[in-house]
This record gives sequence, structure tokens and C-alpha cells, in this order.
Amino acid sequence: MSNTAAIEIRGISKRFGNHVALDNVHLDIRPGELVALLGPSGSGKTSLLRIIAGLEAPDSGQIMFGMEDASRRHAGEREVGFVFQHYALFRHMTVFENVAFGLRVVPRARRLPRTAIADRVTKLLELVQLGWLADRYPSQLSGGQRQRVALARALAIEPKVLLLDEPFAALDAKVRKELRRWLRALHEEVKLTSVFVTHDQDEALELADRVVVMSAGKVEQIGAPGDVYTAPASAFVHEFLGDTNRLACHIAAGRVLLADGGVLGRVEAPDGEAIAYVRPHELDILPAKDGSAFIRHASTFGPLVRLVVGFGTANLDVAMPVERWVRLGIAVGDRLNLAARYGAVFSDPAAPAAQLLPEVPGTMFAASICQQGGTQRN
Amino acid sequence: MAHATSPAAFGRPRRVIPGLGLSFTITTGTLAVLVLLPLAAMVAMSLSKGVPAFVAALADRRVLAAFRVTIVSALAAAIISAIFGLLLAWVLTRYRFPGRRFIDAAVDLPFALPTAVAGIALTALYAPNGWIGALLVPLGISVAFTPLGIGVALVFVGLPFVVRAVQPILEDLPADEEEAARLLGATRMQIFLRVIMPACAPALVTGFTMAFARGLGEYGSVIFIAGNKPMLSEIVPLLIVIQLDQYNYTGAAAIGTAMLLVSFAMLMVINRLQAWAAAR
Repeated sequence: MSNTAAIEIRGISKRFGNHVALDNVHLDIRPGELVALLGPSGSGKTSLLRIIAGLEAPDSGQIMFGMEDASRRHAGEREVGFVFQHYALFRHMTVFENVAFGLRVVPRARRLPRTAIADRVTKLLELVQLGWLADRYPSQLSGGQRQRVALARALAIEPKVLLLDEPFAALDAKVRKELRRWLRALHEEVKLTSVFVTHDQDEALELADRVVVMSAGKVEQIGAPGDVYTAPASAFVHEFLGDTNRLACHIAAGRVLLADGGVLGRVEAPDGEAIAYVRPHELDILPAKDGSAFIRHASTFGPLVRLVVGFGTANLDVAMPVERWVRLGIAVGDRLNLAARYGAVFSDPAAPAAQLLPEVPGTMFAASICQQGGTQRN
Repeated sequence: MAHATSPAAFGRPRRVIPGLGLSFTITTGTLAVLVLLPLAAMVAMSLSKGVPAFVAALADRRVLAAFRVTIVSALAAAIISAIFGLLLAWVLTRYRFPGRRFIDAAVDLPFALPTAVAGIALTALYAPNGWIGALLVPLGISVAFTPLGIGVALVFVGLPFVVRAVQPILEDLPADEEEAARLLGATRMQIFLRVIMPACAPALVTGFTMAFARGLGEYGSVIFIAGNKPMLSEIVPLLIVIQLDQYNYTGAAAIGTAMLLVSFAMLMVINRLQAWAAAR
């Protein structure tokens, strides 16, 4: 595979004192693809990005850029473009000077002539739609504009690889969404091998060609956004990607039983303790006067109604289309029964899930849950 | 509601931060009593025997030579302080080494030490039979009792001004700007000149100015090491003391007034330079 990967990460480990930031990480990044490193804070994703850039040295392992061992090269010689989380623009330079910086510091023998530099910078500023701000200083720009200047500056040196550290984290929600779309479009246009770090699963799933889910210094799963969401390799991945309800259960003869004997559904898995996850939209509610659950809270947000359903000692999240909620004609405080349409059962948290299926379509599970906090949100 | 008669509408315009009148009175009053009044008295005294006497007191070759020695050595010492002060601040902020806190604290010593003590210590070290002076004799360099000695003493008192001015700026300098420059291919020298220096230049100029101003007026540490040879290593503050010893108060005041004007003019120029640099 090494001849097809743009970046090959071979057994990278890194520790800071007693903290293991990266533990034997392997990863191939293909030419022209946009890869997301996704994980909670402390999962090692930023350390990995900084090691690829050469800002940090790994304790062991190799980074290959194509056929070449990048470990031998300094950060400045790796030809990577890096966009920092807080942009790291040179505050005493104008936007133009910021973007030109990487071209001006080239040794004189290889440096472009002054006019060629000006042309290139102008083109880049047009690419990021900021030509009209060339003479401003970074402090005079909005967050989204600074981000785009940082991107133009990184692209100016015509890098082989573009690395972005939490590129949208410091922006407000609306700008973030716009900039995300814009970056995806830009990627389609320039087709530069890119790696970005994020803790936001929506961002990773929407933007990336492939998602690398990381946890505690290890790669949990690598796959296309659809695959990691629908076929998570571990309980961690399932939990990290989107809202879900976590239910402690045990499996007996192919049936998934809750702690007090209620039946959640069927599964093809060996007997024993397990954890079942059911996402909010995979839960159905059926109004019933003697139902085992009740509606604690309901909020309408866009096309979905989000319910918090009290069930025993736990709260479960349920989501449904507004139309269905209206048709059901129920309100906060009403009792109901719950049914899982689908779900994921992990006998081993570190292995892929078995599919949870309704025992009979539409079956209720009417038992209480004695599990610590039924709701997991990200 | 816009036309409602709130109490403020009748009185003075309300300010968000209260107490301008009071604090303005206190500060200008203090400044006047402690700084402006004594200076005005000195100027008045210098002119008490008329302008010709004032000019005569200054147009002495010995006085002019002292001015030259004072300004040149203060300027040179401030430049050296700026260079080494920046280095010292850099080392103190960028590296962690045993004894760092000790050195950090020691930087302030010249502030606290009676300058005469420093002068005597420096003289003992740099005299031809001192620890350092003895090493320099074979090289034909004599520090003590020459203008070079004045420079050494002024660097000693000027260095902490530069270090303390630059240090906080270097501490606040975000590491990611340097990292960004490195990733864009800049060499260490380019990072220093294009990223770090522009950020700390205003503070460096401030430190330089303070070191220079202090050097112009420094007395205690200089007189022991300078040797005070007229025309060669005699400084202006010493001339003033000599005039006072001879009960020539008008002459002392005249030199003092000239010193005041020169210092003020030079500090103005530096201030202007700084404002110009900051505006760019």
C-alpha cells in the first residue's frame, strides 16, 4: 500500500510524561482525500496532526510522505500547510503580508520575483474571497475571515498536504456551517490531500471522505462517514457518533433482557452481559394509560420533536417527526410504552455490535432500567 | 421616554467611569509639587544672574566635554543594554534551567542596590589589579578610570530596565505564531527578525529609553569607576556636584537646566520614533 498512500503513519507512539498521547497508531492517507481525525479531547488527534507536521517528534514510529521518510525532515522542509485552531496569524502584518510570508522567506536563489509573489497572493486571496481585505490587519477581521486568511497563507507555499487543527472550533454555529460547506467545495476544487482534527461528529461526517475515530491514543475505527455511523467497530464509536441511549442488558437465548426481565428485542449473540444502544430516532412510543414510561419534556426543533422520556430511574431521548407527534396527540406527563425498532448490542465493548431487532415488530419493553443514567449525549 | 427629565439631564454629563475631577486634581497636583515645581525652581535659579551668565556657565570646554561624554556613554550603554537585555529576557522566558528563578530575581538587584556600592564593586573588579581588570591589562584594555568604565557602570544600571520591559511581551508571545512561521519555511533567523522582533520592538524601545534616561542622570555608580578626568571621563552630574561644592548654585542650576533640556529633547525624539514605529 505504501506506494499509493500520500501519508503513511507507521506505528507512531508518543507520551507526555505518564500520559500516553498516541499508542502505536497506523494510518494511510490517500492522495487527494479529506480525512477527519475525530475524537474527544485527550484522544491524541491533535498530537497526531502535530507529529505529521513535524511540530512534535514521535517517541517511535515513522511518518512516510509518499516513499520518503518525513521523520528526517524539519517542519519547515515538509511542505505541509497548517491551519491552527486560533489561526496564528502574524498580528503585525497585513493580510497580504501574512499570505506572502511563506513565499518571502524562501532563500533568494529559489524565491519568486516580487511581482510573481504579489500575483500569487492576490490569486489566493481571491480564492478565499478576501481580496478586498488585503491591507487590513488580523485584528480587524472576523473569526471566519481570519480562518480563511490562515488557509490562504497555508496554501501559498503549495503544500503537498494540508493539515487543519480544529478549523471551525472557534467560530459561531452559523459561520461554522457556511465555512464547512465552503471548505468542502474548495477541497473538490484543489484536491489537496487534507487532514483535519475535530471533536464535532457532525463536522467530521459531513466534511470528510474518511473518518478516523480516535480514543485514548488509539484508532478505534477508520471508514467512510456512513460506515462508521451505521457499523461502528466499538461501543465507543457508536456512543461518540451522535446521540444515543445506553441500556445495560443481558442476553439469554437470543433475547435481549433488561435488568428486571423486560425484553428489549432479539439478537444473534452469545449469552451474557451486554450493552445495548438505541438511538433516539430508533425508539417508538405508543401511548398507553398503564404505560411504563412517561413524557418528561418535549421540545420542537426544526422538523423533529425531541422527547425526554422518564423510564424507571433513567431518562431516554426519543426523536420523531413533528407530524407523527401531532398525530399521536399526547403531551408532557402522558404515559406510554416504548419499543426499539433497531439498535446495537455490544457483548464486547471493543468489538462490533450485533444488530438488535424487535422480537415481534411493535413489541413493547415495559421494564424499568436500573442502569446508571440511561442517556448519553455528545 | 427620550425626553424624560432624568436627574442626569440637568447636571453635568454622566460618565461611565466616575471621579475624573478628583483624580485629575490629585495627579496634576502631585506632579506639580513633586516634579514640575522643583524643575521650574531650577530653571528660575539658572537664569537668576541673567542670560549671559547662563550661557557663560555652559560655554565652558570642560562642560561641553562632560555633555559629550555623558550622552555618548549613556547612548552606547543603552544600546548594549538593549541587546543583552533582550537576550537575557529571551533566555529567562524560553528556557527552563536550574537557577532560572535565582537569575530572574538577580536581574532586579541593580534597582535595589545603592548605586555607589555597585560603583565600588565594579571599580574593584575592573581596576588594573582587579579580577577582570588584571585579565584585560595584557590586552591593553583599561576599563576603570576611562570612558569605558562609565559604559560598564551604565550597562549595569540600565540592563534591568530592558529585561523587565521585554520579558512580559516575550512571555505573552503565542508559540503558534512561531510554529506557523516555521511550517511556512522560515529559518530561525527569519522567525526572530520577522515574527518575534516586530512583536517586542515597542517594549524594547521602551526599555532602551528608560535605560538611556537613567544613564543620562546616573551618578553614584559612575563616579567611582570613571576616574573623573576633566575633558575625558567626567560626567555632567558630577560637574553639578562640583559646582555645588564651590557654592556656585547658579552655575549648577545652569548645567542642570541644560541637562534637562537635552534629556527632554532626546526622550521626545525617541517617543516620536516609537509612535511612528507603532503606527506602521
